[in-house]
Amino acid sequence: MSLNDRLRTVFIETMQLDADFDVENLKYRDIEEWDSVGHMALVAAIEDEFDVQFDTDQVIDMSSFKVAADMLNDMGAK
Amino acid sequence: MNSLVHSQARLIDALDGSVLAGAELSARVTAAADELSALPDGVLFARMSQDVPSVLRYLGAFESGRAIAMIDPALDADVLAGLVARFRPAAVLGAEGDAPEGYRLTGTSWERISPEGVKPHPDLAVLLPTSGSTGNPKLVRLSRSAVLHNAESIARVLGIDADEVTATNLPLHYSYGLSVLNSHLLRGATVVVEANGVMARPFWTTVETYRVTSLPGVPYHYEMLRRLRFDPAKYPSLRTLTQAGGKLRVELVTEFNDKMRAVGGRMFVMYGQTEAAPRMSTVPAERLADKLGSAGPALPGGSFSIRAEDGSEITTPGVDGEVVYRGPNVMMGYAENEAELAGGDEVGGVLVTGDLGHLDEDGYLYITGRLKRIGKVFGNRVNLDDLEQVVKGYGPAAAVPAGDKVVVWLQDADAEACKAAARTLSERLHLHVTGFDVRQAGDFPLLPSGKIDYRSLEARV
Repeated sequence: MSLNDRLRTVFIETMQLDADFDVENLKYRDIEEWDSVGHMALVAAIEDEFDVQFDTDQVIDMSSFKVAADMLNDMGAK
Repeated sequence: MNSLVHSQARLIDALDGSVLAGAELSARVTAAADELSALPDGVLFARMSQDVPSVLRYLGAFESGRAIAMIDPALDADVLAGLVARFRPAAVLGAEGDAPEGYRLTGTSWERISPEGVKPHPDLAVLLPTSGSTGNPKLVRLSRSAVLHNAESIARVLGIDADEVTATNLPLHYSYGLSVLNSHLLRGATVVVEANGVMARPFWTTVETYRVTSLPGVPYHYEMLRRLRFDPAKYPSLRTLTQAGGKLRVELVTEFNDKMRAVGGRMFVMYGQTEAAPRMSTVPAERLADKLGSAGPALPGGSFSIRAEDGSEITTPGVDGEVVYRGPNVMMGYAENEAELAGGDEVGGVLVTGDLGHLDEDGYLYITGRLKRIGKVFGNRVNLDDLEQVVKGYGPAAAVPAGDKVVVWLQDADAEACKAAARTLSERLHLHVTGFDVRQAGDFPLLPSGKIDYRSLEARV
């Protein structure tokens, strides 16, 4: 699975979204599920899935699916 | 009694940096009050978003003696409709969508068409719904003097003065969030109205830009701050943390207390209930390390006692019983309908908390459990029996508290049904789905009486 597909799965499972939900264009607080509580759960799930650790700035700057994907790419996650 | 808004108080709108202070702030509050005075008799419902207009509407109502109920803007439309039908508010401020029957849409308000309404009791100032979007929330009736007394006591124990700056990172329809606003305005401090919360960059920009000095949080905020690897050295203005809204893990109390002390800051652990407007106790920052796990001594003007099952008072330190609080900040009572808004004080300053706990030799309270079946989901009190009702479509259910979440055991459900049940709970209660851990249980353990053995389920969590 590509990084994007895996990240997509993490988003859908963490926030319990429908399987065909358009997460690629999702931004923080666009939907009720991605509030601050959802963000915390999401960050933890992404760290587990990709075996990475985000620093403070990354956590609070992770404002969209695309930003999260870019961060993972920059960190060399596969 | 004096005003809630001190002449030096300032409101800053984080959206555009505009500042309301002094004569301008009081003129805006008066203007908001004037608008409300044209409304017919009855309570006001205010959908409290984290914005300046919501704050001004609240202050306008409070300062002009108009009873106002603080409503979660995310409350389900049908729950809101039920509240409107039961309480017949004079208006719903900050409303969205078409007005219900008997109301007309005027600007952003639904105004009741009929001028006939029950006049709320003259002492009544603020109403807050008991938690639980399930069933029919009651409203907690708080008098003006209870709100002012509590704001004053909080300001005193936390040492809030005109140099303090805080932000609205807690919802204003939540009793803790409202008390942060009140206690700062009362002492002429600055409140930055901000809607983003600690997990987003704009909040921390606000902390830096306006030199925020204190940050309140419920336990899950501290879990977030830990995940963010919060370092107070990065925010030199931020030197006070306060915590309430449920018991914070002792390891986190220690961790954050140590972090704050290392930079010359302070941390306060507090205890309260909406029914006490809401604060009942605070651990003085300098005692936190040697009173770990305590909720602190009662606020100035208040007192705790511990009641045994037979109703007698337990005076021996260390012995558990039901926590009873007495103080000038205790509610007048509940209201379930419009007629009850006219009622006076029904409890005489005595709050039977439903919490189990004990006092130590120094009068410090330790909470050890709940008498009623209540859990907390991200700081929101939920009735566990209500949760079981919400998911009864999935078969027999048993809900137990699990820290900042609840675990709901389903006897006959598969994994798919557990996920669906969690979604149902999240939608009905408007709380994040990760707060509901729904699991397959198999047959429930039973007590000899045939009732579900909740203790053994709690032990499985």
